[in-house]
Amino acid sequence: MRIEEKFKQLKKEGKKAFIAYIPFGFPKIGYTKDIILALQASGVDMIELGVPFSDPLADGPIIQKAASLALKQGADIEKLFITLEGIKKSLKIPLVIMTYYNPLFKFGIEKFFTKMQAVEVSGIIVVDLPHDESRNYIEKTRKFDLETVFFITPTTSKSRQEKIVKISQGFIYYISVTGITGPKSFTFTPLTSYVKDLKKITELPICVGFGVHTPLQVEKIRSFSDGVIVGSGIVEFIGKHFRQKNFLNKLKTYVNFLNGREYA
Amino acid sequence: MKKPQLPDKRGYFGEFGGKFVPETLICALEELECAYREAKKDKRFKKKLKGYLSEYAGRPTPLYFARNLSQFLGMNIYLKREDLLHTGAHKINNTLGQILLAKFMGKRRIIAETGAGQHGVAVATVATLFGLKCDIYMGAEDIDRQKMNVFRMQVLGARVIPVESGTKTLKDACSEAIRDWVTNVRGTYYLLGSTVGPHPYPLIVRDFQSVIGREAKRQILKMEGKLPDYLVACVGGGSNSLGLFYPFFKQTEVKFIGVEAGGYGLGDYNAASLSCGGIGVLHGAKSYLLQDNGGQIKNTHSIAAGLDYPGVGPEHAFYKSSGRAQYVVVKDKQALEGFKLLSKLEGIIPALEPAHAIYYLKKLAKKAKGLLVVVCLSGRGDKDLNIIQKYK
Repeated sequence: MRIEEKFKQLKKEGKKAFIAYIPFGFPKIGYTKDIILALQASGVDMIELGVPFSDPLADGPIIQKAASLALKQGADIEKLFITLEGIKKSLKIPLVIMTYYNPLFKFGIEKFFTKMQAVEVSGIIVVDLPHDESRNYIEKTRKFDLETVFFITPTTSKSRQEKIVKISQGFIYYISVTGITGPKSFTFTPLTSYVKDLKKITELPICVGFGVHTPLQVEKIRSFSDGVIVGSGIVEFIGKHFRQKNFLNKLKTYVNFLNGREYA
Repeated sequence: MKKPQLPDKRGYFGEFGGKFVPETLICALEELECAYREAKKDKRFKKKLKGYLSEYAGRPTPLYFARNLSQFLGMNIYLKREDLLHTGAHKINNTLGQILLAKFMGKRRIIAETGAGQHGVAVATVATLFGLKCDIYMGAEDIDRQKMNVFRMQVLGARVIPVESGTKTLKDACSEAIRDWVTNVRGTYYLLGSTVGPHPYPLIVRDFQSVIGREAKRQILKMEGKLPDYLVACVGGGSNSLGLFYPFFKQTEVKFIGVEAGGYGLGDYNAASLSCGGIGVLHGAKSYLLQDNGGQIKNTHSIAAGLDYPGVGPEHAFYKSSGRAQYVVVKDKQALEGFKLLSKLEGIIPALEPAHAIYYLKKLAKKAKGLLVVVCLSGRGDKDLNIIQKYK
């Protein structure tokens, strides 16, 4: 499913998106498929799947550790696409691939995009590819009909925001803090007004992420945006519980709890 | 002399360089670029820097004719004595420049990465000189290997923060410093130590280090009445070598040789990004990297901690692809030989980094007799004595 379509559907239903981030191959390659399907079953609206990188500049300790563990398991791009091929038929919600530029570049950008098309994944975010470096990339993504998500942060100037909005598709990923993933906290002022200002220059859905780990934060973010992204919280939960019995059920319960729903 | 237009407006040296960073940092890089452009035009800034370089750091450094080594190898070798600078290496040229820039920008806190601790010491030195708070990121493994430099930084009032992620060495310290900068971008100045990282760092560091080559050019013309046949310098990230090379860029009759760290050998762990690596993006710039087929950064090794880094400055990548410079590899054992050679013949104990360049002279001597060569002796060897002892 395309991101755009999902947001249309949510809008019709009067809902806001809940987006879950997980790194591919964490805690083991075989888990990724089951985790994705469990997240889908618990009503997550979209999944961001991280491609592990040895030097993740924008990630805090939780996702750093997860990525390095995934790499030790041999979580490479070939295996990523094999996994995605395997769940293509069961996946009903959009999936966004989140990667650093080097693994993508080394694999071959066009080759990567061809594979994305083949597994019917249309969304992509490249963490360290800002607007300034994206011209070539944008041209190629358009050729493959991919949806390109970009970040806007509290330090992004107005004039940059306008440029970024123009090349963004699917949704805008608004970062709640100036910082890396998994901050302990963030404040709603001036976040709320930043998002409101951004809405004035774009029709695209705006989703807010970084540092979200309580149902209250989820609810509050949804009140002024189009969706919320939870990453480190879920990754930490997976790391702590994957060895336990009924792990997938526990994950579902946790996500439902964050998502403000009754226990399944 | 007209300076070559490198890098271009977008921070590219040919196809290398750029700004591959998370969105949060873009505004900080733009702010830095603007400030640097202003500072460059500011006469007081220039005068201040010149004053500190001469009175505090000890510039100009001598260009020393190494008579014994020259005789031994059958060539005319001049050493650019950056080892005589305050703190013992060329690093202070850059840290003085950048600390003045940080003051110019009104920043209150300095962060930096360090591998062997040479850059860290040079940062701690200038930070305390200018009364700024200073946090230095250093890989936990390097902290173990370089205890004396850790202590030096602490004596100078800096906080040394151990980095436990990844390989616990320089590349991880660099990543951690960038993460700190992403988080505290508004009041913090990131004082990068080499010609690597996103634009404008490769430009800024090269410019501040170019004093090496400008002086060397003046000195060699005075002493020999002609330009050298070769410039030779070691290349890790590439700051001492670019500092020497860049002012000679247009004089194509002067050949550049960058000496990379061959570590245990080319088929084994090394740090020779240009000779053994492929094109990729690390720490904000497109350049040559040591990476695996999946684009993951490889572990590196060099006996010289200051060369032990999986990437290299984008300007070097450009010099390689355009053929302006030639890059060669010298292994750990050979560097040790270079270390002994200079110590015994000239009474100068070099750091293990430039010892790579010294060793290469032996190979260069086989090419032709009587070549005129300038070598950048980027640092002194005191810091490496405990490593040398182990290899006895």
